[in-house]
Order: sequence, then structure tokens, then C-alpha cells
Amino acid sequence: MTGAAKLLREYNIVFVTIGLCLVFFLISPRFVSIDNMSAISRQIVPIGLIALGQFFVVVSGNIDLSMGMGSVLFAIVLGVLFGATGGVALGIIAVIVCSLALGFFNGALVAKLKLPAFIVTLSTLFMAQGLSGLIIPRGQQIFLMGDFFRFVGAEKFLGVYWSFLFLAGLFALAYVVYNHTRWGAYVIAIGNSEENAKLAGINVDRVKIGIFMFSALCSGFAGIILSSRMGFVQPGLDGNGLLLDGIAAIIIGGTLILGGRGTIAGAFWGLLFIGVINNALNLLNVVDVWHQVFKGAVILAALGVNWWLWQSRQAEAQ
Amino acid sequence: MSTAQISTPPKLQLDGLMLRYAVLVGLIAAASIGFGIANENFYSLTNLGILLRSISVLFLVSMGMTFVMLTGGIDLSVGSNVAFSGGVGVVALTTTGSATAGFVAALLAGMAIGWVNGFFIGRLRLSAFMVTLATFALARGLALVIYGADSINVDNGAFLWLGGTSWGNLPVVIPFVAMVFIALSVVLYRTVFGREVYATGSNFNTAFVLGRRPERTLIWVYILTGFLAGLSAIITVGRVSSGQPWTGLYLEFDAITAVILGGTALAGGRGRLLGTILGVLLYGIIINGLVLTGTNPFLQSLIKGLILLGVVLLDTFTQKGRAT
Amino acid sequence: MNYLSKLSVGAIAAGALLGTTALADEGTLDIVFINDGHVAPYHVAWLSGFEDAIEAYDEAFSDLTVTGRWLSAEGSLEKMIQQAEVTINEKPDVMFVNAINVDAFEPLVAKAQAEGITWIAVHSPMESADYSFTLGDVVNGRNQGMAMCALSGGEPYKVGVMLGQAGNPSGEARREGILEGIATCDNIEVVAEQPADWDTVKAQSITENWLTQFPDLDAISGVTDGYMYPAIAVATNSGRDDLHFYGYDGDIPIIQQMEGGNVKADILLSGTREGWNFVQMAYRIHKGEELEKVYDFFTPLVLTEENHQTALANGFPEDVEVYYVDQALEVAEKGFLEFGPDSVM
Repeated sequence: MTGAAKLLREYNIVFVTIGLCLVFFLISPRFVSIDNMSAISRQIVPIGLIALGQFFVVVSGNIDLSMGMGSVLFAIVLGVLFGATGGVALGIIAVIVCSLALGFFNGALVAKLKLPAFIVTLSTLFMAQGLSGLIIPRGQQIFLMGDFFRFVGAEKFLGVYWSFLFLAGLFALAYVVYNHTRWGAYVIAIGNSEENAKLAGINVDRVKIGIFMFSALCSGFAGIILSSRMGFVQPGLDGNGLLLDGIAAIIIGGTLILGGRGTIAGAFWGLLFIGVINNALNLLNVVDVWHQVFKGAVILAALGVNWWLWQSRQAEAQ
Repeated sequence: MSTAQISTPPKLQLDGLMLRYAVLVGLIAAASIGFGIANENFYSLTNLGILLRSISVLFLVSMGMTFVMLTGGIDLSVGSNVAFSGGVGVVALTTTGSATAGFVAALLAGMAIGWVNGFFIGRLRLSAFMVTLATFALARGLALVIYGADSINVDNGAFLWLGGTSWGNLPVVIPFVAMVFIALSVVLYRTVFGREVYATGSNFNTAFVLGRRPERTLIWVYILTGFLAGLSAIITVGRVSSGQPWTGLYLEFDAITAVILGGTALAGGRGRLLGTILGVLLYGIIINGLVLTGTNPFLQSLIKGLILLGVVLLDTFTQKGRAT
Repeated sequence: MNYLSKLSVGAIAAGALLGTTALADEGTLDIVFINDGHVAPYHVAWLSGFEDAIEAYDEAFSDLTVTGRWLSAEGSLEKMIQQAEVTINEKPDVMFVNAINVDAFEPLVAKAQAEGITWIAVHSPMESADYSFTLGDVVNGRNQGMAMCALSGGEPYKVGVMLGQAGNPSGEARREGILEGIATCDNIEVVAEQPADWDTVKAQSITENWLTQFPDLDAISGVTDGYMYPAIAVATNSGRDDLHFYGYDGDIPIIQQMEGGNVKADILLSGTREGWNFVQMAYRIHKGEELEKVYDFFTPLVLTEENHQTALANGFPEDVEVYYVDQALEVAEKGFLEFGPDSVM
């Protein structure tokens, strides 16, 4: 029952995404081939991880701008340790530890010192950007070759990329946590009103720190997957583009930027929407100068259609 | 000059902000002395002229961003808008040959993007972050299309005058920025519109209940930001004596950083233009000094992050110290 | 105002004084290199070659103090203009400026020259500059395209070309050259052209899409080696071991993939070489040598010996300068071999 109601509530972005796919299919039938779907599924993984981590942050009424540059930094941490030791394990452990530390730092400043998340994470964005160039030995790109990187970057299970399965698994886990645990309810409560959450006896600080640690961990995973797919690391990766795509995904998916509202399913559809647009730009051979116009116009149109569908539903309900 | 205008907001608010301004002035002094010691050229009049001219556009855009952030919004599209409105202005100038047509076209183009932002944000109540993220891509794309991804040379003296001329070491754009600052201060502190900006930021719904028209205020705030982006475009074209599709890249991030440094609250309703001016100055001095000392760009990013966090932390601790 | 202008006259006088003393002092050479970026693999090699060369020249000539620094505009034109203005005020001896857009720098060139600074326009030539350091992008691109013709074996051959950022002059010139070269034979079909904005992540997505969209794609050509890293990784991981790559830049890790690998041709710029060449050029100007106003960076085509023979047999022009892999790697790794202090002693 709740499932059907939720599905209805998310109808608009589903409509928009499917409608868009239909248009692209009419222009280029290859768009819906298995191969292309598989390519999209792989491309959206890093964006998806950013979106998922950001989802909880945004629902709690905050934002984490450091996620994109964070994942670049963590990719380089992995690369530097791989370059130095030739092994993967130490690098993975270091990424997990460093990302949790960054998340704790962000979360503690936001929760304990009551600093705005926007400012805290904007400054850690700059710091991550700086560190990513400072920790890599001068004049180097580090190649990441080996079974682990091939497995993460390119291996499939029953025709589906492992990295996508990992993302889907995380989304499923997040769905359960968000909808069926107390922690999920706390996040929403904090997003609606921190005061009330406190009055209700929720340890707001601890939940907030946890949220930021989770988002940073997600950017750590994104860094690992991104670098494995690339096969090399270097500090010039476009972390901010990743961040903005991730945020766009969840907001298009109906998450309220001011907090307190949003669904995991919506975030997932928003992610597909962004993935489809990025893929279509290449697939349809859109002439280069029109790329940005296309992207901006499509997002704006989606926002408008979203709004219109929402309006007409409101009218029907009355 | 500025003390005369500071009068309206409640006392308590002013105290908190005054403390921030004292911190900023202290940091500006410290940074200037530090860079002055590191490089004797820092204090040369030529360098000060370069410094001021290089941040003139940031001054304008940041003042617009202050209005937006006072309403609790954000505008990620300003940098792209500078490129777009510059493109429209330059094309109008080259096709008609009239500088006036160029000016009008640039300003109108900037205001048009501002209107789109304002309409979606104010009327449809969509997230400012999301809407301006879309126009961020859209305006940059349109700029690329208008220019055909190439630059256009401009040699019309009247069009280039504002951004390109200097009286001795004083770029003419500096007194112009000061005039804009005064005009915007009057708008913000002495008009009904200014009060509505603060009211909208404090609480959109309350403003609505009180019979105000916050959606209309929002639309005008974004149009104002667009107008300032248009002005910035004219200055930029004058500065580089050509129209460029990639101008204003990441300008919005610099402006947001400067406005935050200046003490304007992200949630809206609290902040003043003077703080933004100080924030831009501090930001500009640091960037100028880092160029003079040839600092590694990665180290520059790290320093930028540390300063931003440091200022906000310092603020928090001093406020706490006073409270107890 | 009056007071201000008096002050500025004073400052100019003081500046002129300082300037003359600096000029009179033959024992120093201060070089500033303003670049458009600092993170792409080519940039990293370039800037470190420049740093190494400054150090080497400073050590090699005991009567001359060579100093230098580089600045990165991080892709922003306004930032680059500010950096150039600040640098001119510092009055170095030589400025290398890789202008994001040359038109915007005309007024600054005049200003720098008035201060006695030698302005060297990097990559995009400028009429007003003292010298222009150019790459011959069109010729290089054509060589890449012709190499593709000669190595494609005469069968129908499908290629995707990855471009630079829209409007970037180097990228446009390279593209023009590559397409010209490809047009010299009729078996090659360009099935797609996409801008990757000098961004490796975009290059990766584009490669993935192309492999899906064109299952029978034979080769990927790029206007920078930065695209080759992800393209090679994606192709290898997708089991497309038969895909060929045509690069541009002479990045060492890419040249290393030529012998027995799928990189068929590359253009030997090499960032390290270029950084060293800058310092050598500045030194020669300082010594009063007369250089050509448009200085063309020597950028041979890189092929394996075997492929070169094949290409020649297929009608590849003999007068195109070709370096084999070993030679290319050696000069790329050791910039001092061609442009070190020994080259001018």
C-alpha cells in the first residue's frame, strides 16, 4: 500500500525520464540497446555514490560540497599508496580511514560548533583540491593496473557491472535504512525541525556527524571506482562537475533542498535522468557549442514539467 | 562614507556583524603587512591599481550575490551570465556600431537571465540552487553559441572606456564601483524594496502572510543580480578589449566565498553590503599576494580553504567568548 | 587627484630607476612563465621541465643568476590578465605567456615592452610580441592523419576524433590538421567528433559510448595524449585489444605503449622538452642572439621503426621527420639533451 502511494508520489520524474528516453530512442534507436544501457549503468556509478551520500545530508537540511573534490583526493590517496607499495589493500584502508576522518571533521564542525554546512564543506572542498595536488609526487600520473582495478572498473556479473551492482546494493540498503529504521526517521526529523528533534530526545549531533561520515565514505567509494575505471590518477579530475551532477540528480528526483523531504526511489530516478542526458549528448552527436545549452535547457524543462505535474495533482486532489 | 548609511537594523545584529568586520579589517591589515614584507612591490601604486581593477567585477557580482543571499537564495549563474550578456552586448555593438545599443543589450540580456532565475525561484518556488545550476549551464552554452565559441575584437572607445581607462594609477572603474555601492546601499537600507529583501530572507511564509509579495521581491532581486552581471560584462569587455565566451568562469564561487567572508548569513535575513566589500578586499589581497609570491596553485587552494574556515571559526569563538 | 598623480609620477620615476639598474646588471636573468593550467599531465611535465631547466642553467653559468617561476591561470582569462599585470609590475627579463586568448593581451604586450620586458607568446603567435613560440599544430595534426592513412591498410577504417574545448585555438588547429591528413586517403571514415574539453573523465565516457555505438570502430584519434590514458584503459578492460590509438603530445607513458602496443603514432612535443626549450630560448635572447621572430618548436612524429617502414611502403611522405620510440623516449625524459646548458655553451 505504502509502496504504491510512494510510487505515485514519484510518478513525475519517472514520466519525465521515460519520456526523455522515448524521444532519444526516436532520434537514435541505438539509444535503448543493451550495450548502451550497460554503458549508462557504469557511467552513473560515481555520480550515484555522490547522490546517495548527498541525499541524507540534504534531507537533514545540510549540504556537503566537499564530496566531489573529496573523491578526487581519495582517488589520489589510493594511487599514491598503490604507487608506493604496489598493493591495493593498504590504499583501500587508507581511503576508508581518510574519508571517515574528513566526514567526522565536517560533521563535528557543523554539529558541535553550529557552523553552516555550506561554509564548512566549501572550505574542505578547497582544502581537498589543494591536498590532492600536494600529496602526489611532482610530475607524475600514477597508473593503476591489476586484477583489483579491472574487477572494479570493468568486470560484469550476469551481464551487469559489479560497480553498478554495488551501487544498487547501497541504494537498497539506504532504502531500508531510510524508510525502516529509527536512524532514517531521525534524519527526516532533523531536516524538518532541529528544535523539535532535540525536544523529542534525538541525539542530533551524533546523527549529523554520522550523516557527514556516510557522505564522505560515499565519496571515498566514488574515488576508488572512478580511478579503477580510469586506470590512472592525476589531480586534474573534475570533482566539481561530479558534485553538481550528483546534487542535480537528487533534486530533480524530488528531494527538497531545504531538508525534511525526499525519497530514495526519487533520487535513483533523478540519477538515471542525469545519466541519460550525459549519455545522449555523446550518443546523439550534439554539436559541441550546443552541449551546455542542451543540458541547461533540459534540466530547466524537467524542473518546469515537474512543477506542472505537481500542480495538476494538487488540483486533482482538491 | 559608510558609517552614515549604517542605521536601520536592530542593535544586537549589528554587534555580531561589527565584530566580524573588525576581524576582517584585522586580517586585511595582517595580510597586507605580510605580503608587503615578502615583496616590496606589493605596496607600489601600480600594484594597488592592478589589485583594485582585478577585483572590480568581483565587487559588483558579490554585491548582487549579497542581495540574493539576504533572501536566503543563491545564484550560481552569475559567472556564465557575465559571458552571455557580454556576448549579446558585443554582438549588438558590432552589428549596429552604436555603443549605447551595446550597453542596453548587455544589461537587458543580463536581466533576462536574472528574470528566468527569479521566475522559477520566486513564482514556481523551485530551489534556487537547482534553477541557477541549470542557468549556469544554459547561459554559458548560449554565450558559446553567440560567439561561435570564438572571441570578438572590440575597438569602440566608448564601449571600452569603463573597463579600460585609468587616471594615473586609478582605474576609472573604482569610483564607478563606489557609486554602485552607494546606490545599492540606498536601495537596501532606505527603500521599501530593501526592507522586503530582509523580510523575504527572514521568513518567506511570514512575509507572505503579512500581505507582502515575496515572490515579486525575489524576481526583482534576481533581475538586479542579472543587471550587475551585465555591468560586469561591460567592464570585462573593456578590460580585455574583446568579447570572450569563457569570461567569468567560476566567478560565482569567488563571489559566494567573499560574501560568506563578509558575514552574510546563508539562511538569509542577516548581513550588510559593507561586509561584502571587506570580504572581496581580503579575498583580492590574498590572491594578489599569492601571485606576487608565485605560490603553487594547489597550496593556494589549501590556503583559501583554511582562511575561509579560520574566519568563520574565529567568529564563532569570539561570539562564544562574549556570550559567557 | 593632484596628489595622486604626483605620487604616481614619483612611482614611475622610481620604477624607471629600478628598471635601469636591473637592466644594467648583466648577471641576472629572471623568467616568468604564465600558463593556462597546471593539472593536465602535459602541464605537469611542462612546468617541472621548466623548473629543472632554471635550476640547471643557474648552476651551469657561475656569472649568471637565473631565476624563474610559473603561474597558472587555471583556465580563467581574467585571472591570467591579472597575473600578467602583476608580473609586468615586477619587471622580469622575459615573460612566456600561453594566452587563453591572444586578442585580450595586446594592450599588455605593449605595456610589458615599455618596461623593457621581452614578451614571448606561447603556442598562439602574436604579431606584436617580441617572439612567438609555436607548435605547428596543423602540420603535426596532418602528420598524425597521414600516418593513420598509411597504417590503416587500405581497408575501410572507422575512426572517432576527440577534440579540445570548443573555440580553443590549439585544439581547432590540431583538428583541422588531423582531418586534412585523413582526407589524403579515401578508406578512412570519421564516424564521430566530440569535444572532451581537455578532461580525462569526459574522454573516458566518450570512449565508452563510442565502443557501444560503433562496435566496428577501428581507431581513436585525440588532440591530446590526456585522452589516451582513459581511452586505452577502457578499451583494454572491454576486451577491445584491436583498437588503435593516435595521440598528440608525446607524453612519456603514452610513447611507452607504442612498442608492441596499440598506440600507432604520437606527436613528440613532450612537456619536459618544451619547458627546457623555454629556458634555453630565454638564455639565448639574454646573450643577444638573434632568433627567428616565430620560433617553431621541433616536434617530430613518433612511430615504431617497423610501422615507419610499413608507412613508407604505403606512400607516406619521406620528408616527414620521424623519431623512433627509443630516441623519442630519451629526449622526452632528458630535456637537457637537446636544450640544456651544454646546447648553448
